[in-house]
Amino acid sequence: MNKNIYLLLAGLILLVNAGFAQTKKGSVLIKNATVLTITQGVLENTDVLVENGVIRRIGQGINAPANTITINAAGKYLMPGIIDAHSHIALDAVNEATSPITAEVKMEDVVNPFEVSIYRALAGGVTISHAMHGSANAIGGQNITLKHRYGTFDPDDLLMKEAPRTIKFALGENPTRVHGRGKSIQPRTRMGVEAVIRNGFKEAQQYQKAWKDYENASKQRNSTAVPPKYDPRLQTLADILDGQIIIHCHSYRADEIYMLINVCREFDIKNIVFSHVNEGFKVAPELAAYTMGASVFADWWAYKFEVYYSTAFNAAILTRNGVVTSINSDSGELIRHLYHEAAKTQRYGELSDEEALALITINPAKQLGIEQFVGSIEVGKQADLVVFDEHPLSVYAVPQMTFVDGVKYFDINEDQDDQRLKVSATEMVEPIYLKEHDHKCMQDVDFFFTNFGRTLFGHTH
Amino acid sequence: MIITTKNYKQFLLLFWCSLTFTFSSVAQSDHTGKRRVSSAYAITNTNLFSSPEKSQTKVTIIIKDGLIHEIGPNPTIPSEAQLIQGDSLFVYAGFIDPAGDMGVSKPDEPNRPSDFDSSNPADEFAGITPYRNVMDQFDAKNSKIEEWRKLGFTVTQLIPDGGMLPGKTSVIVLGDPNNPNLLAQNTALSAKFTGARGMYPATTLGVMSKFREIYQNATLSSRHENLFASNAGLKRPAKNKTYEAFYPTLDKSIPIIFEVSNELEMRRAIKLQKELGFDLVLAGVQDGEEVIPSLIDANAKVLFSLQLPEDKASKSEPKEDAEEQAKRIDRVKESYEKSLKQAGIFEDAGIPFAFHTKGAKSGDMIKNIRLMIENGLSESAALAALTVNGAKILGIEKMAGTIEKGKLANLVLLTDTLFKEEAQIKHVLADGYLFDYDIKPKKNGKKENGDGDVSIEGKWRYTSSTPAGSSEGEMNFSKVADDYTGTITLDNPTGSGTLKPEMKEISLSGNKLSFSFEVNVQGNNLSIQVSGEVDGEEFSGSMSVAEFGSFPLDATKVPENAIKL
Repeated sequence: MNKNIYLLLAGLILLVNAGFAQTKKGSVLIKNATVLTITQGVLENTDVLVENGVIRRIGQGINAPANTITINAAGKYLMPGIIDAHSHIALDAVNEATSPITAEVKMEDVVNPFEVSIYRALAGGVTISHAMHGSANAIGGQNITLKHRYGTFDPDDLLMKEAPRTIKFALGENPTRVHGRGKSIQPRTRMGVEAVIRNGFKEAQQYQKAWKDYENASKQRNSTAVPPKYDPRLQTLADILDGQIIIHCHSYRADEIYMLINVCREFDIKNIVFSHVNEGFKVAPELAAYTMGASVFADWWAYKFEVYYSTAFNAAILTRNGVVTSINSDSGELIRHLYHEAAKTQRYGELSDEEALALITINPAKQLGIEQFVGSIEVGKQADLVVFDEHPLSVYAVPQMTFVDGVKYFDINEDQDDQRLKVSATEMVEPIYLKEHDHKCMQDVDFFFTNFGRTLFGHTH
Repeated sequence: MIITTKNYKQFLLLFWCSLTFTFSSVAQSDHTGKRRVSSAYAITNTNLFSSPEKSQTKVTIIIKDGLIHEIGPNPTIPSEAQLIQGDSLFVYAGFIDPAGDMGVSKPDEPNRPSDFDSSNPADEFAGITPYRNVMDQFDAKNSKIEEWRKLGFTVTQLIPDGGMLPGKTSVIVLGDPNNPNLLAQNTALSAKFTGARGMYPATTLGVMSKFREIYQNATLSSRHENLFASNAGLKRPAKNKTYEAFYPTLDKSIPIIFEVSNELEMRRAIKLQKELGFDLVLAGVQDGEEVIPSLIDANAKVLFSLQLPEDKASKSEPKEDAEEQAKRIDRVKESYEKSLKQAGIFEDAGIPFAFHTKGAKSGDMIKNIRLMIENGLSESAALAALTVNGAKILGIEKMAGTIEKGKLANLVLLTDTLFKEEAQIKHVLADGYLFDYDIKPKKNGKKENGDGDVSIEGKWRYTSSTPAGSSEGEMNFSKVADDYTGTITLDNPTGSGTLKPEMKEISLSGNKLSFSFEVNVQGNNLSIQVSGEVDGEEFSGSMSVAEFGSFPLDATKVPENAIKL
C-alpha cells in the first residue's frame, strides 16, 4: 500500500485519539432484576437503563432505545460494582521501600493493564480497586483508583480520573522492621513512626512557606527572587495539609491509630481512612468522630504479633458505632469473593443486608471520595454493575456479568480458559504465584531477616 | 596571533616542536609496517546503492582523505589510489548505529562512606551520573568494534553504562583502529528505568519520581544561574553537576535517549516527556504497535532493537495434558509471530525508525533483519533503518547515511545485494579506512542435509571476547559411535592455571554445532552454552553465560600435522 495513505491513516488515528481520548462507554437495559440499590432499598422486578455509561432510568416497563442491548435478569440480582478500598493488583512495583517517606512516588506510574488479576477481580464483581503503595514506609507513595476496564493496552484507560488523590501511610511493625531493624534509621519504634510523620508535616509547612514567599516576591516588578528547590516529597505532604489528598493508613493497634488521629487533628487534617484496623473496635468512637472511616478484613488476624488482639466482630462494632466501614481484600485472591467477606458480618454481628453490602460498595466509595459517582444504583451515577444469580450475601452466589461504565467486561458464559491479554513470546509457562498476596504488600522490600524474619515477620499485610 | 616578548620563547619552543614532529614523521621509516600507503581508493565499475531509493550500475567511486571525492561513470582516478575491482560488488552506505555499547565498560562503583544513608544517597551511588561522558568508559581497541564493523557498521552513538542516568552519549566513526574517531560529543543524555540496588530510588516508582525531581530542579537551577549572572546581591547558586548536565535537554539542544525493555516502559518514557517537554528518543523498542499513536503524538524518535525473541514455541511439544498445553503454546507462538511483524507495522505507520545494536547479538543481526523482512518489513525500509534514518536521528545526515560526494567514506561492499541469503561483506570502508574480509566459498546444499560433510573431530583453538577481556583455549572433540565427547580448556576465572571441563550436550546438526560446559566459580556452578556454525576449518559462534549475556567465540581447527609436531 502507498506510504502516503499510511501516513494519512496514522494522522487520522492521531486526530481520533486527540478528539476522543476517553474510555469506552456502553448502553444497556437490564430488565426484571431484583435491584439492590444500597442507598434506596431493594426494588423487585425492576429495570435499569444505562445510556453512554451512565444510569439514566430505574423503574418498571422501560423500553430499550434503538441500538441498546437488553438483558433479561428475571430471578437475578443486580448490585452496584464492588469497590475494593485496599488492593495491589495491576501494579508493576508496590514498595519503594528505601526511605521512611516516599510521598513523591505515584502508583499511576506503574499500572500494568496486562495483569490477569484485573479480570479475576471482575469475575468477583469488583469494578473498582484502590491500587496502593505497600506498607514498608511510614509515609508511602500516592495510590491510584482504578476502574477495571480490562482489555486495554494503555494503563491510562484504567485510571478513574474523577477520583481524588490518596496516599499510603503505614504504622507499626512494617515500617519499623524495614527501616529501623533493617537499616538502623528512624523509625525503630512506634514513637519513631510518629516522629517521622510529624517531622514530615513540619518540613512541609516550611516548604510551603518558602514557595509562598517566593511567589509573592516574584510578583514584584523587576523581581530577582530566587526560586527555592523543588521537592515533590514535601510538596505532596503540603497537599495533604491542604486537604487535597486522602490518607489511607495501614494500622493495627488502637494506640497507633489514636496517635495518628491526634497528629492529624493537630495539623487539621480531616481526610484520613484507616486500613486493616484490627483493634479499631477499641477506638470506634474516635474513628467515627475524626476520620473518613476504617477499611478492615472480615476475619484475618494472628499472622504477626501486632494482629493478635482481633475479632471478626470488628466490622459490625465499627458500623454500629457510626464509623464508615468497608471490607477490603489486600489480595488478588480475596478480591474474587468480597461479597462472601461482607456476608461474614451477618454471622459475626448480625448486620442487615443493606449494612453488609454497604461495606463493599458505598462505604469504600466514600473512603475513596468517589461516592457521588459510584457505589450505589442511582440515576446519574456511573453504570458499574454486577448481575448475581443468587443474593450476593448468599454462600451460593456467583457473579454472572460485570459492567464498568455500561460496558460488559465479564460474562460467565463467555469466560475463556485463557484470558491473558499479553503473552510472553518466549515463556511456555509464565511464573504463577500460588498466593497472590505473598508477593504484593511487602513486594520489592528486601528481606533483612531471611530465616528468622520469614517465620516471625514473613507476613505481608 | 600577537607575539609578545613574554611568550616569544614559548612560541619558539612550540614551533620547534611542531617542526620536529612533522619532520620526524616523514623522515622515520614505519617500523610497524602498518601505515597506509595511500588514503585514496577507487572502487571501479561497481553497482551503487547510494540511498534506499536510488541505485546505479557501472559507476566508479573515488575516495580521498576519508571522504567520497567523486562518483561517476568515468571519473579521473588519482595515481596514488588503490583500486578495488567493483564490477561484481554491491556498494551500500555504511550502517549507522544510533545506540550501541561496543567497547564501553562499566565504571567502578565508588566506595561507600561509613555514614552512607541508603534513603538519601549521593547521586553517584544511585546511578545518577548524567555528567559522565561515555568516552571515559570507551576502549577503542575492544574486539566488539570489529565484530560490528565486519557486519557493516561504520558509525555508532555510544551509550554509557551505569544506572538510571548513566551519562552522555557520543558519536564515533569506526575508522582508524588506533583512534576513538569522535564525530560529536555529548550528543544525548542517556536514561533508563533501572533502579539502584538497596537504596533510593530502587524501583520504577522511585526512578520516575527522581527523574521528575531532577528535571524540575534543573529548570529552577538554570533560572537561578541566569538571574545570578545578570544581577548583583543574589544568593550564590549551589553548583550541582547533575542539574547542569540536564541544561542542554531543557532547551532541547540535545534529546534524552530512554532505553526501554517493553511497551509499558515506552509509555512511561512518553509520560515523562509529556509532563516535562524534552525531546525523546526511545531505544530498545521491540514491540508496542499499540503505543504508535502516543509515539507520534510525542514526536518521539524510535530506535528498534536488532534483537528478536528466541523462537522457543515452535520447538516445544505438548507433553501431559496435551490439549490445554497445546493451546498455551499456540498463544506463545502467536506472540512470537507478532513480535516479528512489529518492524513492518512501525514502517506502515510511517515511523522512520532506525536499528540499533545495544542489547543485540551480532551473530543474529542478519538473520533477524531477514525475519523482519519475511514478516512485512520492506527491504528499502530495512536499509533506511540501517543507514539514513539513523543519520537523521543523530543529526549527521550531512556527513553520513547515503553515498554522496563530500560525505564520509563509509561504505559496505557486498558480493550480492543486501539481505540476499548469499550476500557476504567483502570490504567495509569507514572514515576512509579499508577493512577486508574473507569471502567464504558458496555453500553447496549438501552441508545442510546431514552430518556427512561436517567433521569436528580433532583439536580446535578458540578465542572469545568478553567484557573482561579476550580469552583463548583449546577444544578437543572425539567421536564415540555416533556421539561426540570433548573437553574445553580455559583460564581459571578465580585463580591461576587452566581448567578443562567436559563438554556436555554436544550436538552437530548440519553445520550447526552446540555444546555446553560448567565452570565452578566461588561455589556456584555457571553453565555456559556455546553455539554456532562450522564452515570447513572455521567455527564462528557465540558463548552465552546465564544472566551475563552472550559473547562471540570463534575457533579454528588445528591441522592434523600441526598436532603431530
